[in-house]
Amino acid sequence: MAVDTAARTPTPAPADRNGARADGTRLPVARWVLREQRRSLTLWAISLAAITAMYLAFYPSMATDEMEAVMAGLPEALMSGMGWDRIATGSGYLESTIYGLLAPALLLVFGIAAGARLLAGHEEDGSLELEGTAPVSRRQLLLERFAALTFGLFVLCAALGVATLVLAPALGMEVTSGNILAATLGLWLFVLAMATVSFAVGAATGRRALALGVGAGLAVFAYMADTIGEMMAGGDWLSTISPFGWYLGGDPLTQGVDGAGYALLAGLVVVALLAGLLRFERRDLGV
Amino acid sequence: MTTTSARAAAADVVIRTAGLIKDYRSARRGRTTGHVRALDGLDLEVRRGEVFGFLGPNGAGKSTTIRILLDQLRPTAGYAEVLGATPAAGGPAVRARIGYLPGELAMQGRETAGDLLEHLVRLRGGRGSGRIGPLAERFGLDLTKPIRSLSKGNKQKVGVIQAFLHAPELLILDEPTSGLDPLLQQEFLAMVREATADGATVFMSSHVLSEVEIIAERVAIVREGRIVDLDDVATLRHHAGQQVALRFADPIRADEFAEIPGVEDVEVTDHTVRCLLRGEPDALLKAAAAHHVVRWVAEDRELEDLFLDFYRVPAGELHAEAEEVVVHGR
Repeated sequence: MAVDTAARTPTPAPADRNGARADGTRLPVARWVLREQRRSLTLWAISLAAITAMYLAFYPSMATDEMEAVMAGLPEALMSGMGWDRIATGSGYLESTIYGLLAPALLLVFGIAAGARLLAGHEEDGSLELEGTAPVSRRQLLLERFAALTFGLFVLCAALGVATLVLAPALGMEVTSGNILAATLGLWLFVLAMATVSFAVGAATGRRALALGVGAGLAVFAYMADTIGEMMAGGDWLSTISPFGWYLGGDPLTQGVDGAGYALLAGLVVVALLAGLLRFERRDLGV
Repeated sequence: MTTTSARAAAADVVIRTAGLIKDYRSARRGRTTGHVRALDGLDLEVRRGEVFGFLGPNGAGKSTTIRILLDQLRPTAGYAEVLGATPAAGGPAVRARIGYLPGELAMQGRETAGDLLEHLVRLRGGRGSGRIGPLAERFGLDLTKPIRSLSKGNKQKVGVIQAFLHAPELLILDEPTSGLDPLLQQEFLAMVREATADGATVFMSSHVLSEVEIIAERVAIVREGRIVDLDDVATLRHHAGQQVALRFADPIRADEFAEIPGVEDVEVTDHTVRCLLRGEPDALLKAAAAHHVVRWVAEDRELEDLFLDFYRVPAGELHAEAEEVVVHGR
């Protein structure tokens, strides 16, 4: 039975294994997390692209004179609040269906849940223990898991963005590719910011439910504040403090990248991440 | 401890804790209501190359100590050192030299056991990847099965294998044999012996004494966050004493045996005296010699029983008794 007694003494790995090592050990944590997520990421990407395609396919039937007449009869505040005032234009339709509603809603569900799970969830269920006691620093562990979160959301946003890029011109939506890219970038930053808050709360506390709650709460606040701000007279400030406003307030589908808004979103990501890291490096794990 | 052994220990101590204290915050409904003290001044010294048993009931502080050594928990007060550095300062470099088996081994996911082991090897820069196959074979672990479909025993095999894979110089094993069937426990013990033969140090916890006494040279008994006894297994066995039964030709009065030094738990039924004997049997034999002895039985008590003694005595009295035992022993 004692087949491997000789192998006990640590010996340098053979040269060919060294080659595999150098390649296979770069970002081992992030790779593993993404590997675990590969099925769900694939399904989500396909679903998001399909939903986007489905909605865009309705656009030709919406962009008619009759539809504009129907819309004209609705209250103005509601129209502008929901972004329906421009629904018959390509960019307006894209914003009120995909970029301003379905995409953020679905991506937030994925992103906030993933953010809460990737540290706090795995810490609570104990599966972080072997990783945390391996020769990996807490900082590396956290940053690699964050990288996996970022990359996962990037893949999903890319799937959605590519579907839009391909279909919008085909359906005559008259939105430039540059603006679609700008809006997709904003979408990614917005969802990433909310997911990062959830991730950071989980990193700071180790409590998955709390991380979920804070992430979801902030996302709901962001959406509500922006929507109410648009509808209410003198409510501009609500949109100004809302991360959702930072994303869509500058009308990226017609105006391109909103430098200030996007910078605020990126800043929120960095601040949340650093705060989470600071606490994660000091606290007890798995208690 | 003699001066010589103290000096030798200071020269090559792999794990050292001094006055280690750990409080957990006990929160109810999110409000802090106080602290629970898990470790209450724990002093420990594990020497290079030995197999050290860390014994105590559940909740005594074994896993807390171990998780401090691996820098998962940070001590409230006191000092801990592993392989020459505090766990926080040593960081990944020290953990690279440790093989660790968690007490509560949780593994999920649909990845296979082989993939998980490969992943853990990658976290160690690839060290030990060639041993996954042989060790899995040795323990009869199917590497192609998804982790979440594994039984508790099979998960424990994965845990044991990953701890030994990279042939670490220090093995910290929290309840290593729980969930392993007797045959695999033997296999595990063989692996521990091979590791120590190659110079590894093994620090293993258990709440079952018998599984540690076979392999450990020294044993510490931890109770309510403190070490209440620390000895080599032979001395512990000596302290454990013997269960003596004497049968006489005539009925015996209990009070004749009650006051003999070193004799406890005297129980007299008709012609028979049963008692617990610690130390020399001389006084007991002389008392017995006053009568006609028909039968004499003296059995080594299982360390298990000694272990129980420690739980029976409230913590306060225990320190006094433990010290006394040590004095008798030397």
